[in-house]
Amino acid sequence: MKRLKNAHFGQWIDPSQTIQFTFEGGLVQGVEGDTVASALLANGQWVQSRSFKYHRPRGPLTLCGYDANTLVQTPVAPNLLADRLPAEDHLAVTAQNYTGSLHFDLSRLLDWFGRFLPVGFYYKAFFKPRGIWAWWEPIVRKTAGLGISNLSVKAPYNDKTYAFADVAVIGAGPAGLNAALLAANAGAQVTLVEQEPRLGGSMNYHAFEGNYETTKSARDALVAAIEAHENIDVLCSSTCNAWFGDHYLPIIQKSRLIKLRAKQTILTTGSSEQHVVFRNNDLPGVVMCSALDRLMRLYGVVPSAPVVVLAGNDLAYRTAFSSQDGGANVAAIVDLRTTYNDPALSDEAKRRGIALFQGCGIYEAKQGLFSHGLSQVDVHKLDERGEVAEKLVSIDCGLLAMSAGFMPSYQLACQAGAVLSYDDSTSQFQLSNLPQGMHLAGSVNSVFSLDLVEADGRNAARQALRNLGIALDSETASAEDVNFTEQVNHPWPFLKHPKGREFVDFDEDLQIKDIINATRMGYRDIQLVKRFSTVGMGPSQGRHSALPTARLVAKTTDRTVHETGVTTARPPLMPEPLGLLAGRRFHPLRRTPLHHRHIGLGAQMMPAGSWQRPAYYGDPVQRTACIQAEVRAVRQGVGIIDVSTLGGIELRGPDAPEFMNRLYTFGFVKQPIGKTRYAVLTNEQGVVADDGVAARLGEHHYYVTATSSGVDRVYRDMLRWNAQWRLDLDIANVTSAFSAINVAGPLSRQVIESVGCSVDLSAQHFPYLAYQEASVAGIPARMMRVGFVGELGYELHVPSPLMGELWDRLLTNGEAHGIRPFGVEAQRLLRLEKGHIIIGQDTDGMTQPDEVSLRWAISSKKPFFVGSKSVDILSKSPLERQLVGFELGATSPQPKEGHLVIRNGHIVGSVTSCEYSPTLNKIIGLAYVHPEDAVPGTTVVIRTDDAVHAHARVAKTPFYDPDNLRQAL
Amino acid sequence: MKIMTCPLNGPRNISEFVYGGQVKAMPDHQNVSDTDWAHHVFYEKNDVGIVLEWWMHSPSSFWFIAERHNATDEIIRTYPADQLFKQRVDFVANEGES
Amino acid sequence: MPFGLLKYGISNDYPFEKEADLPLPTELKRQYDVVIIGGGGHGVATAYYLAKYHGITNVAVLEKGYLGGGNTARNTAVIRSNYLTPEGVKFYSESVKLYENLSNEFDFNIMYSQRGQLTLAHTDATVRAFRQRAEVNKHFGGRSELIDPRNVAELVPTLNLNPANLPVLAGLWHKDGATARHDAVAWGYASGATQRGVELHQVTEVTDVLVSNGRVTGVKTTRGDVNAGVVIQAVAGHSALMAQKAGFPLPLVAYPLQAMVTLPVKPFLTPLVSSSALHCYVQQTSRGEIVIGGGSDPYPLYNSRASLPLKESLISSAVEMFPFLSEMRLLRQWAGITDMTSDYSPIMGLSPVENYYIDAGWGTWGFKATPICGKTMAELVASGGKVPELIQPFELARFDRFKQVNEMGATAASH
Repeated sequence: MKRLKNAHFGQWIDPSQTIQFTFEGGLVQGVEGDTVASALLANGQWVQSRSFKYHRPRGPLTLCGYDANTLVQTPVAPNLLADRLPAEDHLAVTAQNYTGSLHFDLSRLLDWFGRFLPVGFYYKAFFKPRGIWAWWEPIVRKTAGLGISNLSVKAPYNDKTYAFADVAVIGAGPAGLNAALLAANAGAQVTLVEQEPRLGGSMNYHAFEGNYETTKSARDALVAAIEAHENIDVLCSSTCNAWFGDHYLPIIQKSRLIKLRAKQTILTTGSSEQHVVFRNNDLPGVVMCSALDRLMRLYGVVPSAPVVVLAGNDLAYRTAFSSQDGGANVAAIVDLRTTYNDPALSDEAKRRGIALFQGCGIYEAKQGLFSHGLSQVDVHKLDERGEVAEKLVSIDCGLLAMSAGFMPSYQLACQAGAVLSYDDSTSQFQLSNLPQGMHLAGSVNSVFSLDLVEADGRNAARQALRNLGIALDSETASAEDVNFTEQVNHPWPFLKHPKGREFVDFDEDLQIKDIINATRMGYRDIQLVKRFSTVGMGPSQGRHSALPTARLVAKTTDRTVHETGVTTARPPLMPEPLGLLAGRRFHPLRRTPLHHRHIGLGAQMMPAGSWQRPAYYGDPVQRTACIQAEVRAVRQGVGIIDVSTLGGIELRGPDAPEFMNRLYTFGFVKQPIGKTRYAVLTNEQGVVADDGVAARLGEHHYYVTATSSGVDRVYRDMLRWNAQWRLDLDIANVTSAFSAINVAGPLSRQVIESVGCSVDLSAQHFPYLAYQEASVAGIPARMMRVGFVGELGYELHVPSPLMGELWDRLLTNGEAHGIRPFGVEAQRLLRLEKGHIIIGQDTDGMTQPDEVSLRWAISSKKPFFVGSKSVDILSKSPLERQLVGFELGATSPQPKEGHLVIRNGHIVGSVTSCEYSPTLNKIIGLAYVHPEDAVPGTTVVIRTDDAVHAHARVAKTPFYDPDNLRQAL
Repeated sequence: MKIMTCPLNGPRNISEFVYGGQVKAMPDHQNVSDTDWAHHVFYEKNDVGIVLEWWMHSPSSFWFIAERHNATDEIIRTYPADQLFKQRVDFVANEGES
Repeated sequence: MPFGLLKYGISNDYPFEKEADLPLPTELKRQYDVVIIGGGGHGVATAYYLAKYHGITNVAVLEKGYLGGGNTARNTAVIRSNYLTPEGVKFYSESVKLYENLSNEFDFNIMYSQRGQLTLAHTDATVRAFRQRAEVNKHFGGRSELIDPRNVAELVPTLNLNPANLPVLAGLWHKDGATARHDAVAWGYASGATQRGVELHQVTEVTDVLVSNGRVTGVKTTRGDVNAGVVIQAVAGHSALMAQKAGFPLPLVAYPLQAMVTLPVKPFLTPLVSSSALHCYVQQTSRGEIVIGGGSDPYPLYNSRASLPLKESLISSAVEMFPFLSEMRLLRQWAGITDMTSDYSPIMGLSPVENYYIDAGWGTWGFKATPICGKTMAELVASGGKVPELIQPFELARFDRFKQVNEMGATAASH
């Protein structure tokens, strides 16, 4: 189709560059600058979608993405707005949500049965007889939903950008352009955000004061100044989707999320044109006046069929004249008002040969016999009360452009806490109660004529600059008078029809009677009307339905529109792709310095908190055998394990002993230098929170470990406690600075001696629980002997960069002794054989020390430790459960962690650890049991898989080497 | 998102901070009833208004105090903990303890 | 076939007023036997059971906003009983049973859909915890089992089994898990209650609680004072503030909880899927929208404003679980205010004020308990203050005795 391209029409297109894409399998020819929707319209394709409920054919309404009539999909993405989607070569676009084809949709049946489906009908049916909903639901689910998700799409990689500005101006129409310039000229750093591909806003398509030529030159001058200005960052094709605290603005620009931090925000977001509510106002071909303006001015598409304009204000007349100037055949203007602002308009209409019907409305729009689109409208007189009276004439037309007024684009302001109030004298909603640092200008601020809009923009900039403390010369600083109310809204643009289909909400297919009936059913609050009828819950989120709904509900519930209100504005403003919000999706992993050596040795890694640790070494197919071999090595020879993740906290200072005493339950003030001690933490509730080993390096110097997932929290808590206590010490988290290993097994001493150790490792000189500093293989090491796995063993903490070498030397020298690296699984079994508890596995969020036999680790002599009072209180009540060891024969059904301990049909506890021990040839474990059953030798019942009962014997721990001789060698 | 001013590092995005609970004065645990102690552990002041809170700047592990309105989310002021905790806290042993 | 719909098509102006779900506003009387503060799901459910099962109808439900406008309107509608403690599981299992028949109970379609709930375990520790939860759930007659990654893949073929470098090790598959139209639950209960004589007063805020000699005598409202024999507070996020008016504190902290929803697409996801390690859960409504929820906001606030960092991390987790979600479009983001307890269990029953009963501490776990809460609170009132055994563990006094009921591991998005 021929496109109109000159200085004033088709401004965004380049007809010399053609684009070809497909729509519903058919080839469509567009041009450079087209959106999918405008290209389709240029080809006469007005039907672009089917509505959600009734599957009525739909076409563009706003042509700028403010309605959902153009939702289409591509192979990659569902639910795209065709009037925002740039046309591209080879793009394969399809319509959504039809049964059969876009042009012959079987689901249209629902429209014919509409009389049986009142608002909220699904709440009244489909559930009797009992259980029948389970049959209906899959059917309902299939009919619901719009697009089809492509389940094989791979999540792309989308980086985010951070930007900063003194002033963010959202919307580059006349108000925004002026605001940005004034602010930038005063020296502020301005970011100007515009949804469309080009600056200008409504100056791109609207003939302000009826003169497009002057509008355009004013626009060009402003745009040129903006683009040349070095203080203004221009972001086009960018949507500011929300306002978050302290002016944090998420902006979506194509496939990039920009997070802009501004000091001041100026919202010049404009307003949404509102529709007239009459029968079949949803036919393809019924559009907003601004949509017709855009169609011709931006995309150069001239309607071939006659055009009728339905006016609720003066601005609609400009559309009529402007379209005629572009070559459209404007057959009539139907004006809902009997009086209007500018009497010269009726003269102009007459002069232009356009039939004028004043005090009239469109009662019904009709479609053609063979097309889905508009072909005729019925014009009716309106009586003095504004009610529909006799029919005057039917007018053949293919396009109806309507304007009942405007609703400010209030969403961002309301997200920030602004309030909407309705002014009955102007029939408009207005915004007030803006947060600190937010300013409005232009039609969002209820200002409409060009001079005032521009002045309003400058005033907003002045306010923003004042808040920033940027001085202006007195001439620039003085605010302009913008006090003038304009009547652009029709108070009651409804023509109720007995056959209905006068749509209030196009997304949800809701007509006048649906809104009214919702209130008749008792849903009278605007929020209940919304939730019950779903009005405003569709993709347009109330942009065109909020105002008519408020008016209808006010009328039927006998309240003012102001009292009735609209529903809450929530982010995002426009639908935003999840991938952009997800961004690059970092997943940090913490690795010890020995990580690559573990991999090299065939380790199977597992997460431990945010760390990676070897679970075991070897082929997963032989998992059990590998773990048992590791266990055997430790018990009979020597094993080596990386325990770096247990962390390290260094406490130094005169008050270090006192601090240790207050944090941990045991006594530490009298801990001998050169000795280690088991360190347990309780939290303020008296619950066992973490454990580790504390070594005293000096009078005022301790080095403490924790659990892999606990060390960061322990460190943080220590800092917070001391912020209150103000003790004289320094607390440092040295987890990364040191790496640690434990060499365990009867041959461990020999292996370490063989690499060279500067201290005597014999039992005499390095007894069990001792701490010494030494040079091992020439590497400085903090060495300690701790219980750990219950064998002779040494834990070595060395500076991280040096651990690799130490590990290599030990493995090399240890080879002759059969040294094996062992992982978390073997460690678990070895420690279980000794009955050691694992914090977080054998303890839970409520475990008190007495439940896990840790009374010995609680000092009764200290005045205070964290949790001491709570522990005391807890110990006054009898225990409800007790952690004990248990055992079963090797061939018994093996309980798993989490299996329940049952007593007289009640749950009394659960299994926390359980393994088969090859060393002992039986199944051993730890479980919470009833305190009366905690005596060794008692039988307890554990319900294992498939409800098989295992009868376990409570046993004393340690299971292995009960006299603890081997670790003290 | 909100900006919080760390007394040490200046204004930062609030996602850099960790909330540490309300600042609560610990009663004299040796001379308080069990019920009052339970209240100290489990209860917080929860009126609408300005609350005194512990916050930590995560990257620098710096704990400080913030006065924040718990409905408007306005951060009134932030300051180092030593402005509130001015003196060393000692726990004295009851009679019969070492 | 829904023959019941035929009547609507016969007349051109069906008399909807005659069978209105909710009555027109009425005068607020000066005296009621029972006043329920809070017209959310719990409040109207309690009123319903009082009226229908105990014949107590001189009841007023006072709601400061609109019916169900608090957390009932904002939750993500998950119904399940796969908790950890015997006390909790027993309680929620009863609720699941009531939900199964709820539409027919009060003659209103809540679109109850028992599609099953799957929680993913990514660490050994979680697998252990899940096994325990499955066992406890089964003990009380629920359907829960620990399943392996292969079964997980069969149930949810579209799920990424290795999200965020945390491979799925197992799943807790809870066949009883369901979803429903959350607003409809409030409407159904309110309709059933008001039909039987209960009065629902919206836009009626309780500004003070009147207590005399340790017993409640009534409330002050924005529409005048009301005397009451018994008062129940069921105000979710504002529980501590209301209790203060009655003169006692509650061990609660109010945190915002965010949720969000996408544009609708044709059905592809049947069960509700939750990941413990990623702190995120995803489900598809009957309308086709994808609902995404997760853990609470990081600091307390009496405000339901949305925030960006939490949204980004939540969506990041959702995209990790279902990579193709990256091309779906977010439609709306909102939040509620949740009153959190330290043990993630509710506070129900008696208060220090005589005849003043508490239904609070519902944090992020309130919607699923709506029916059993209404039933037990009604029993509490009808029996003259005898606490039903089922809710005894949730008494306020448990904190004084350090007897918490720890459900921290079993709430939706925690690990």
